[in-house]
Amino acid sequence: MKKEITFTLNNEEVIVEVDPKWTLIHLLREVLELTGTKEGCGVGECGACTVIVDGEAVNSCLYPVMEVEGKTVATIEGVALPDGTLHPIQQAFIENNGVQCGYCTSGMIMSAKALLDKKSDPTEDEIRTGISGNICRCTGYVQIVESIQLAAERMKK
Amino acid sequence: MKAYDYHKPHTVKEAIDIMGGLENAKYIAGGTDVMVLLRQGKINPANLVSLRNVAEISRIDTQNGIRIGAGVTHTQIANNEFIREHYSALADGAGVVGSKQIRNVATIGGNICNAAPSADTACPLLVLDAEAVIAGKSGERQVPVDDFIVGPSQVALEKGELVTGFVIPAFGDRTGSAYIKHARRLAMDLPILGIAVRATVKIGGAQAACRDAFKLTDVSDIVKRLEAEGLVLEDVRVAMSVVAPRPVRARKAEEAAKGKTISEKVLEELGEIAASESKPRDSFRGEAWYRRDMVKVLTKRALLKSIERMTGASSMVAPSRLW
Amino acid sequence: MENLLHVGKNVPRTAEIDKVTGHAVYIDEYKRPGMLYGKILYSQYAHARIKSINTEKAKKLPGVRAVITGYDIPDVRVGFLGDQTVLKRDIVRQFRDEVAAVAAITPEIAEDALKLIEVEYEPLPAIFDPIEAMKPDAALVHETDARGRPLRSNILPLPWKFSAGDVDKAREESTYVVKHDVTTPWINQCCMGTSGCVAEFDSNNNLTYCAQTNVIFGAKQRIATYLRNIGLKGKKIRVLNPVVGGSFGTKLDTDIYEFICIQLALKTRKPVKIRFTREEEFAALPPRQASRFTIEQGCDKEGKLTFRKVDAILDNGAYTSWGATTPSVMMLPISSMYRVPNVSFQATCVYTNNIYSQAMRGYGNPQAAFAVETSMDLLAEKAGIDPAEFRLINRNHPGDVTPMGLKITTCPLEECINTVKEKIKWDEKRGKKNGRGVGMASLIHVAGGARVYLSDGTGIRIKVNEDGEVDVLSGSTDQGQGSPTVIAQIIAEATGFRPEDVNIVFGDTALGLWDAGTHASRHTFVAGNAAVRAGELIKRQILELAVQHIPKLVKRSLKQQQKKNPDFVPPELDYTLIDSPDKLELKDRMIYPREAPDHPYFKTEVGKILTSGLHVGVGESKAVAAEVFWDPPTQMLNAEMKGNYSCTYAFGTAGVEVEVDKQTGEVKILKLVSAHDVGRAINPTLVKGQIYGAAYIGIGYGLTERVQVVDGKVVNANFRDYKILTANDNIPVEAVIIEDPDPAGPYGAKGIGEPGLVPTAPAIANAIYDAVGVWIKDLPITPEKVLAALKAQGQ
Repeated sequence: MKKEITFTLNNEEVIVEVDPKWTLIHLLREVLELTGTKEGCGVGECGACTVIVDGEAVNSCLYPVMEVEGKTVATIEGVALPDGTLHPIQQAFIENNGVQCGYCTSGMIMSAKALLDKKSDPTEDEIRTGISGNICRCTGYVQIVESIQLAAERMKK
Repeated sequence: MKAYDYHKPHTVKEAIDIMGGLENAKYIAGGTDVMVLLRQGKINPANLVSLRNVAEISRIDTQNGIRIGAGVTHTQIANNEFIREHYSALADGAGVVGSKQIRNVATIGGNICNAAPSADTACPLLVLDAEAVIAGKSGERQVPVDDFIVGPSQVALEKGELVTGFVIPAFGDRTGSAYIKHARRLAMDLPILGIAVRATVKIGGAQAACRDAFKLTDVSDIVKRLEAEGLVLEDVRVAMSVVAPRPVRARKAEEAAKGKTISEKVLEELGEIAASESKPRDSFRGEAWYRRDMVKVLTKRALLKSIERMTGASSMVAPSRLW
Repeated sequence: MENLLHVGKNVPRTAEIDKVTGHAVYIDEYKRPGMLYGKILYSQYAHARIKSINTEKAKKLPGVRAVITGYDIPDVRVGFLGDQTVLKRDIVRQFRDEVAAVAAITPEIAEDALKLIEVEYEPLPAIFDPIEAMKPDAALVHETDARGRPLRSNILPLPWKFSAGDVDKAREESTYVVKHDVTTPWINQCCMGTSGCVAEFDSNNNLTYCAQTNVIFGAKQRIATYLRNIGLKGKKIRVLNPVVGGSFGTKLDTDIYEFICIQLALKTRKPVKIRFTREEEFAALPPRQASRFTIEQGCDKEGKLTFRKVDAILDNGAYTSWGATTPSVMMLPISSMYRVPNVSFQATCVYTNNIYSQAMRGYGNPQAAFAVETSMDLLAEKAGIDPAEFRLINRNHPGDVTPMGLKITTCPLEECINTVKEKIKWDEKRGKKNGRGVGMASLIHVAGGARVYLSDGTGIRIKVNEDGEVDVLSGSTDQGQGSPTVIAQIIAEATGFRPEDVNIVFGDTALGLWDAGTHASRHTFVAGNAAVRAGELIKRQILELAVQHIPKLVKRSLKQQQKKNPDFVPPELDYTLIDSPDKLELKDRMIYPREAPDHPYFKTEVGKILTSGLHVGVGESKAVAAEVFWDPPTQMLNAEMKGNYSCTYAFGTAGVEVEVDKQTGEVKILKLVSAHDVGRAINPTLVKGQIYGAAYIGIGYGLTERVQVVDGKVVNANFRDYKILTANDNIPVEAVIIEDPDPAGPYGAKGIGEPGLVPTAPAIANAIYDAVGVWIKDLPITPEKVLAALKAQGQ
């Protein structure tokens, strides 16, 4: 019952056979081996699986793979420049301890990126709402919010 | 998880036709509920018919009130300026569902058709006298949302039918509305209780004075000032979630409010009546006595918030946890 | 010591760059060729007899490689008290009892196979209330002990009884006495990365075991014992860590699923992975120990504490993991928080058919601190003394030896309390009872290791390569706190290299020296001490090389200059400036004479010495490497539960301002200030990260979190119903670092992993009392409880 779908993944066109019952995270992790996207709960309650589809942060664990057809998907693996230079958000997370155990980090960075791509100068409340679907147990969010603020500042320049 | 086939119609007609030809099929919109049920093995359809690509149900039309397509996402509703101003309760409700990621894909049609007792957009739709627009093989029909939601996970849809949108009448300048979600957390939570209120009022005195009333810090002072301005509750709607198998209206409270000049006593009474109409149960999520108490408190607060919005003091400040 | 180049700096966590690019390999990504996936079938009852298990259908499912039950594997007991087996035979005693397990080619097939296993149970009466279970006629959860001897009671034979001074006499002599009860709930550690492991045997039955454990050598010992007991004697075991997605206590003990994974690997002769779902993480992983305390305290008319008497009852659940040992840490605040001369403490652990418990950040300290610190406020009120003042009157002092025998070295508790007072505007805001209020609580915690095992040591091995890279091999682990960065800073400081030169290899029993584990806030202190010592040895070796090689290099260079320029007159150089390693210094990669730090000829980049002197030269080839094993000079608790089990102790104070909605009972935290004694902050940004994170878990402990167990079953096994706070629950937390370098610490540092969590919940409870005058003594402080208490008071 496999079907072929075509979509853009981290700026490259991908043509792949999928089983309609897959979720996007299954395709990413198990088939395309992009394992930066994490499954922390599988039911949309933790945000570790967050990716960006057509500019919006979504839970890839709830995203039917068949809906990816024709869409543009960005995952954590596509955030740094192809030469490895970190994105300002990634850089800020490393510098400001926005990452501890790192398990929520991919999703957190994708939520932050979806926000900053739309709004270059968000308020703290907007940042907090932007990552409110991403649970972190290590940081109390303080240094994550600070990291996103730092990245936003640098990106403006 | 059993295998299933996935269908992607582009029009309502196509969706209904596909559905008509399938056995054991289920509509899926944003999928944030359906995908969870699938994973948990609570449903096992052989076919999913996706409504995500049906453009005609993904629009918001603001002529003669508003028509909101069933496929409109919670993010779109919460960010829509027209809805924020004229149907604030709905923007409140849509803005507090799940998380950003959920709101980005979950649709209002899905939220209503899933018919959870705790659905955050249900109470707002109830107080806004919304009707569900239903399409089926034999054409279109409209049903008040109050009649549409039957019970937990039960809605008044015939086989093959689907909700294409919701129509809400225009209310004019003297109406305000609000939804308060009472939850333990400010995101990713189910409400312990949800209360929506719409109030259409008549002001004997000056609207500006009413607006100024909300600058006061003490709630009873605010109410006294409104009372002094002769603020009359012309038409009030109250809806409550998580106090019954489905979100319900507090009709006795609505009736009791009619024509009353606002006062602390009236507010107190309305809260009491609404609470008496609630039938909450104890669960591990919350205790019945507490929910009933909160109906009292939050009905008052949501009513005042509605009036505040009507006066134009703050059209879209989210109802705060603390008054 | 003040002239530090790397210690005290906010060095970025560059070593963990893979975590921000998505390339870090957690257990989720760890794959081996031919690897199978294991899944576990749990009990359907809290207490039942297994009448039959039929696995035939499951075995026939295509893709299934093994189905095992308790009857298929040796009947070997595991765990701290040996009170359970890996897969249960005959009787299940809790809902999470492991009844059968499957290995299959995909996790989905394994899951499907579980549904095909038919188990017939005969339900037995279950007991869920520890008070009921303590009664003499209560039904027994275990009929026999680990050795098969009959048991007569559900009370565990554990020695938690401590006494110092004369409590009864002190009570009589006290001017004020208060007594109250508190209860604390089960808390799930909620690691974002769920539990998992991969077990793989080679053809010699040697085991490579990839696990998230924080105690790789402890895990190795437990697994070795298990393998020996099932007949695999003398097999080699290598324990490896993947990147670990949080621990918070869950990775201290070796859990049952790990033994199951090993059994499946043995049975199938294939690598097998088990990885928990989130639901399993909630329902089948032991949480923080729930507890009930009765605490009584007294003081004299000046407000000096006279005695403290605490009785605790711990619901042990059906089996025993580290939860039952949390009284060893509960004793810490009970005996030693503030000066209190007469102390009695007794903890009773009781078997029930509930879930069992293990470690969580703070161990027993948050539970006991909730009892002690709420009692402090009650007593202060009774004595008519401001609670902050009351704490200052009774504060610990440097040089104190507490009733438990703890030797307090550095102790800036006064500064912690005063800092919180100032930042929270204590004097201005206290005592208004107008819906807003402030409260505080303090803590003491081990900060210089914790001798809970015979060894509390850590070994560090450093080698320097000829290219100037510094490899550090350690048996420690990192679960996200940033230890590689901190140890790199310490080693850079001690050796004279830079943090970016240092390459840390953690979590491999084959490479690292013994480490007692990354737990008990001990890593920075113990591993840091080993690192300083090893680093100094390395530096010495390099300076010895420099004594030989700087003159060679200088002379060669002078010769070359002469060659180029015949008029060049070589300077008269005083080689006695560099004729001994004692006369040289190595800092920031530069070697120079102490007497002439900017010497134009002798100042040499360390890399030149290494390429010139390392691994080359016939007959005189050298390596630079050092290893140090350091075990702090501390004591195990003796039979009376006394002993100085840590080298130093950390203090701290949390202050909270709350607003209480009197109509809904909701509590909003307006401000939380957490001031902590850290000795010295090796990396202030990372230290703050520990304080923020711990404080946030503490807020959850205070207000929203609990594992809800109904008749033995966890009913809120998901993130929707288990209420971890989100970023939207914007709670302004200010972390304040109080520095008072400890002579025993590496560059003065103390441990800070756990403290931030400890005082938060009692500070909230105390603030709520200040705001609205009601005491909520049972955690979490839900709006229901606050509102009910307000109503009971007629408010």
